Amino acid sequence: MIRSLLAWLDDRTGYAGFLHEALYERVPGGARWRYVWGSTLVFTFSVQMITGFFLWTAYSPSANTAWESVYYIENEMTFGSVVRGLHHFTAQLMIVLMAVHLVQVIIDGAYKAPREMNFWLGLVLMQIVLGLSLTGYLLPWDQKGYYATQVSTKIMGNAPLIGQQAQELIQGGPKYGHHTLTRFFALHAGLLPFSLIAFLGLHLYVFRRHGLTVKDPNHAPETTFWPEQVLKDGVACLAVLLLVLGLAVWKGAELSAPANPSENYAAARPEWYFLFLFRFLKFEFVEHFGLAFGSIYVPGALMGVVAAMPLLGRWAVGHKFNVAFTWTLTICIGGLTLMAFYEDGRDEDHQAAILEAHRDAERIKELASGPNRIPVSGAVTLLREDPFTQGPRLFAKHCKGCHRYDGHDGRGRLIYAGTPDGGQVRAAATAADLGQFGSPAWMKSVVVDYSNHFSALKNAGWFKNADGQDVLDPDESEMADWSGDAESLGSEENAQNVAELVAFLVAQAAHNTRDGKAVKHDTAAVDRGRTLAVEGDWAGAINGTSCADCHATIGESFTEIGDDDADGYPNLSGYGSAAWLKSFLSNPAAGQHYGEKNQMPAYAKRMTSSEMDLLVRWLTGDYVETKVEPYAAQRMPPVAR
Amino acid sequence: MSDELPHADETPGSEPLEETPESAAAEQASPALGSEEPQPESAEDVDVSPGEPDESSEPVEAADEPAEEADEEDAEVDADSPEESEEDEESSEEDVARRAFVTQVLAGSIGAVVGLVPVLSGLIFFLDPLIRGGGASGDATAGGSVQKDAEGFIKLPVARSLLPSDGTPQQVTVEDDLVDAWNKFPNVPIGSVWLLRSESDEVTAFSTICPHLGCAVEYRGARSDFYCPCHLSAFKLDGSKDNPIPPRDMDSLAVKPGMGEEIWVQYKSFRGGISEKVEV
Repeated sequence: MIRSLLAWLDDRTGYAGFLHEALYERVPGGARWRYVWGSTLVFTFSVQMITGFFLWTAYSPSANTAWESVYYIENEMTFGSVVRGLHHFTAQLMIVLMAVHLVQVIIDGAYKAPREMNFWLGLVLMQIVLGLSLTGYLLPWDQKGYYATQVSTKIMGNAPLIGQQAQELIQGGPKYGHHTLTRFFALHAGLLPFSLIAFLGLHLYVFRRHGLTVKDPNHAPETTFWPEQVLKDGVACLAVLLLVLGLAVWKGAELSAPANPSENYAAARPEWYFLFLFRFLKFEFVEHFGLAFGSIYVPGALMGVVAAMPLLGRWAVGHKFNVAFTWTLTICIGGLTLMAFYEDGRDEDHQAAILEAHRDAERIKELASGPNRIPVSGAVTLLREDPFTQGPRLFAKHCKGCHRYDGHDGRGRLIYAGTPDGGQVRAAATAADLGQFGSPAWMKSVVVDYSNHFSALKNAGWFKNADGQDVLDPDESEMADWSGDAESLGSEENAQNVAELVAFLVAQAAHNTRDGKAVKHDTAAVDRGRTLAVEGDWAGAINGTSCADCHATIGESFTEIGDDDADGYPNLSGYGSAAWLKSFLSNPAAGQHYGEKNQMPAYAKRMTSSEMDLLVRWLTGDYVETKVEPYAAQRMPPVAR
Repeated sequence: MSDELPHADETPGSEPLEETPESAAAEQASPALGSEEPQPESAEDVDVSPGEPDESSEPVEAADEPAEEADEEDAEVDADSPEESEEDEESSEEDVARRAFVTQVLAGSIGAVVGLVPVLSGLIFFLDPLIRGGGASGDATAGGSVQKDAEGFIKLPVARSLLPSDGTPQQVTVEDDLVDAWNKFPNVPIGSVWLLRSESDEVTAFSTICPHLGCAVEYRGARSDFYCPCHLSAFKLDGSKDNPIPPRDMDSLAVKPGMGEEIWVQYKSFRGGISEKVEV
């Protein structure tokens, strides 16, 4: 019954012959592992088609939905990270397999007559695959893809004659925007895979027409594709699958912060398999010939040589030349790639930039998964309005000239100064390190170790060149004297008092932890500390002194004091709180703050009020809770450039 | 196809080919495959010409005339000629050829029209960014919540006298309304500029976009210069290039004169990678 049905089907379609042709290709010399590469490529492409289709069902190409939809796929949809991971890593493996396949074809001389056409078809396929990886890199619309692809399209714009028009056409305009995504997506999911299928069909057809390139027909008795070679191919594909599945599950495809045209992305690098080209462009001698030379003509010429190999191979020494050329190119590409990795690994700024990129990527996940989800304007506004993200950047922009934050510039970079001999040394801070600002450690240090706490001021030019002028001197002031009374303030009997005063000061500053978590205060200790601050009830020699003797408004929540009412002592009402900090940053030279002794610039007109809010909220821990690792200062020796 | 190939090699004619599908159908499918499978042919023999027999086996009419099948046009002529000769044996060869030619031209032109219209419409549609100029994405003109004048100068949130006067550059974010195709995003950061104040109070503005390949140029305090972390372009503080990597100096931006404390900058983008400064 089934047999006659199959016979009928075969009579109407001829499927049996087709199947027979597909399965019983002759394999002279026996099935071998060396023949598996082409099959693994077909397999990886199939994986891309399948995973790509399913990703398509959830992807939305526009500037304010692309990242968001990929975020949703990656972090919230069932198996989203697996499917995206498979697609991501298979794409990379495809490049590797393609390179292996190409090198093998050249070494085995499989490009020679009558297989020239198939070699060229293979090269076309290679361009299509590279096009797929280039277009695919942009689609998540994250910082990494956005800035790396910008470089690619700018290189494209430098192509002779129609470069600029081609660039605008593929970008959908002079700048990146919605239409860049719709066009890249149409290429990535439409034209390119369609062309790939067409050319792959031709490639396989011509391959079957000429058969395998067998170097050693007597290796083993001749066999057929099915089942012996199929088994080997299957095992190879299984290995490929396990590899990408492992990467997808344990490593996962990266999704950096949403693309932000106004936010520098210093960690910009192309995908690793293009790093050699990136490194090549950095050679000064390459740049002497112009950008088009290094990025278009040289790669084009190399590609041209590869394409000409079937013709070159006709000469007596042609094949040897081709093989030597291939090995040289492979070694150069490998060498340049390693060089790029090595240099980036030692580049302190680049490492800091990578850490920051990871920090942003982790942070945006926390924000996007929050109760308010992602606003219609896109996830990029979440980061723009997040103190935890913007505070360090503002600090690095405005404050790092004098201050430090945990020893770095707020963004994890150490600060260097040039030496006369052209070297670099760590630059000394000329104002306090604000990493602990408002914390118990900070408050305690101000109270019991004032001179040391502000000793960085002594590095400043204004201090060194003071020439007897009345400047802020951490060693010579009433506060320094009071705090410096170690015998009394540091005595056993005052330990409890100091702890309570610190508890009060910390409660008054009311910072969250640096994770954004609210801090619980011991009310009894705070109340007792307030009494100490306002009335003074110390043991020993400092008994009878109180903070309020000088800082009259201490103990109240922050209250502005006009210049006319200022008494020359800093206003410590609500010291360290957001309100105090904002007033202080706006104008540190106000009478209620440092007055005439002030050396710090006023920031009211140096930053917008929203920037000021972000900075203040960051310094006081006022942001959505976070589990993101803090910036860590890089501890590598600086690399001279 | 490999079961047919040997036949094609032995006898290029069409008769054995016609039999092949029938015989395959007559026998059971799988034994047929199995029995023909071990063909001790060398690869070279297989290579000869497997394309033709496959085509010719389908159109039975054409296969009856074993004359020329390789060329499609010839095949068309041949397909017509037997009909002609049946209807009117007196027709001259020329007449046949002329009618065939007209048919070919007609078929070809209609084919071209039905094919080209959708392709050309699509292509023209795809050229939209070039045809409409910068319409697809770009900055809005004056108006909105941003302080912007008719010439495109945008007020920056910084005061002249507050810029460092020791030559240290300061980076300032530029905000503007951004139009991207169907969207208008009011008052968003569109880029940033480096501002430098000279001792004579002159303010210079540079785009932070590297003229090389568009990464962001950073200030390197330890060396008092600008550099780009992507491809290591370096510039002096006056914007002039300091190594051969960038194709030109940093792109200076016009600062509106006579605005006192306020700083208004004409924010523009320029093409990367070329020695001339050409606005995008």
